Amino acid sequence: MNLSSLNWNSLLPELVIVATSLIVLITAVVGKVSRVDRIARGHALAVVTLIGLLIAAGLTIMQLSQPASDFMGMVQSDALSHYLNLVILLAAALAVLLAWDYLGRFTYSFSEFYSLLLLAVAGMMFLGKSTELITLFVSLEILSISLYILTGFNRHQLASAEASLKYFLLGAFASGFIVYGAALLYGDTGSTWFSDIAANASGGFLTLAGFALLLVGFAFKIAAVPFHMWTPDAYQGAPTPVTAFMSVGTKAAALVALFRVLQSAVSAPYETWAWALAILSLLTMTVGNVAALRQTSIKRLLAYSSIAQAGYMLIGLVAGTVLGLQAMLFYLFAYAFMNIGAFACASLLESDDWSELQDASMANARGLFSRQPLLATALAIFMFSLAGIPPLAGFFGKLYLFDAAIDAGWLWLALVAVINSVISAYYYMRVVVVMFMEAPDESTRVRLPIPDSAILAIVIAVLGALLLGILAGPSFASLGQAVVAWRF
Amino acid sequence: MALQAIFLLVSAFTLLMALGAVLARNLFHAALFLVGAFFGVSVLYFLLEAEFLAIAQIIIYIGAIATLIVFAIMLSRGMMGPEAGQHNRYAPFAALALFFLFLLVAWLFNIARFEYSEQAVAPDAIAQIGRAFVTTYVVPFEVASILLVVALIGAIMLARERTS
Repeated sequence: MNLSSLNWNSLLPELVIVATSLIVLITAVVGKVSRVDRIARGHALAVVTLIGLLIAAGLTIMQLSQPASDFMGMVQSDALSHYLNLVILLAAALAVLLAWDYLGRFTYSFSEFYSLLLLAVAGMMFLGKSTELITLFVSLEILSISLYILTGFNRHQLASAEASLKYFLLGAFASGFIVYGAALLYGDTGSTWFSDIAANASGGFLTLAGFALLLVGFAFKIAAVPFHMWTPDAYQGAPTPVTAFMSVGTKAAALVALFRVLQSAVSAPYETWAWALAILSLLTMTVGNVAALRQTSIKRLLAYSSIAQAGYMLIGLVAGTVLGLQAMLFYLFAYAFMNIGAFACASLLESDDWSELQDASMANARGLFSRQPLLATALAIFMFSLAGIPPLAGFFGKLYLFDAAIDAGWLWLALVAVINSVISAYYYMRVVVVMFMEAPDESTRVRLPIPDSAILAIVIAVLGALLLGILAGPSFASLGQAVVAWRF
Repeated sequence: MALQAIFLLVSAFTLLMALGAVLARNLFHAALFLVGAFFGVSVLYFLLEAEFLAIAQIIIYIGAIATLIVFAIMLSRGMMGPEAGQHNRYAPFAALALFFLFLLVAWLFNIARFEYSEQAVAPDAIAQIGRAFVTTYVVPFEVASILLVVALIGAIMLARERTS
């Protein structure tokens, strides 16, 4: 075997991200700078990070038209992974914009932050491409460990450390489940390749237990009920740019990896797993939405909302069809814009005391419309989109998902999801009511002046949520063409 | 016959070390006993001609995990004293539970039918594993190095002094 004969192209975006991360890391030890310069250096690192993300995105877009390729059967570079890469890179770029001003307020460890963020991105991209259990596990650990550290990045704050520890302990358990499942599958089939597992699985207890354990591990990573316990605390305690990034990136990568794993389980028919996924989806959206009803903190409300959103996205996997996959990818794009946008707005409502829990309480948004009309309108747009109100991206995302479910014969699940959307509208609208209908008082708080980088992130997110809604038809169709090309 | 005698000796050594690790009153001594037990297990692997496993056992368990435990004991205050016993009032229950676990495992070994391979161990097994790392499994092998970078950065972030 010759290393130069390999198809390195299929891993090019990931390699660019890793290289950027190392460049960013090395600058930490080059030269000594004063405190004022440190902030400037942080901005420079953010720019380098953004450039790396853009190059990777450009390479991914160039690969979109190329046929699917693989790298020694370990990773599969196809339409699915390309679109996943774009979602992850988008989420990361928006998170960098959010961190631009936010980060400098509590730490000077810029290079560590950005390189860990990039490594998490690389882990997610590898995860979405892996077609072999060892690669899958190692990439999952890269993204998990980076995110544990990023969650506890604000070291002056107890809540951040607590969130990090909770996330780490439960995440380690989830990793254990995945390794155990992988070991059982290996014992059953004698191979770690998905294709071999599909061909040789006995279909007996070992196969079943192996896939079930993998499912549990992934359910934890996408924060599906009943494996969601860590989510509200981790999302609330983590620095908001990190929360925004991981709420989108981890879910997206884990959903795609789960899809690839379950597709390989052909010996146990997909319907068996579709039922397990359907129950998971039902529990996830219902518990997430009902728990969100009572929240008084916007960040915590968004955490429960993101649990519920994971439930909607699981519907695409339940359907297991081209249409379902297409709908899930579309929803991931919509979700990236609206969820990160919402977290971006929330980050501007947080208190300025960095030793306390960085939290945007609902009271902080009281009468926001009369103080900051544009910010309030943007947050309202994200809330409307998350609730699924036309003509925004969230509405069409849900429409396509429910349609795919009905098309695949899961009418009851679609009905449950519709009922859940109605429940969720209540708490999303409550934020809007607080901002627009109530009068501002001393608890109203906005971090002023609003940093330009945050404005840019919010504008991009608003445009995304609007354009994906208005151009839903064409963009959904173009996703479809690419996904159909994927082998089924 | 000689091999069997060595096996029995090593097993007895391993068991004694394990007992020492559980019963030692000084936590630091317990950690050292644990190292001995790990070493005994790795010798057992050598006896089974599983050289790679034996070396991995030494590198990972003695080189990394035992060192970690020793550091953790040395760095936590109040753990070094000789009076810091390892046992609380639940010890008898733990012993009872372990006894039943032992019965369960013994029973499982009794009913399990293991398959035996007639194939001899390849003399260059370690070389083959090494080659597999850089050919068939090159992707996870290289990706694992990224994981190491993440772990290094994380460790430094955790250990570094707080600056305000």
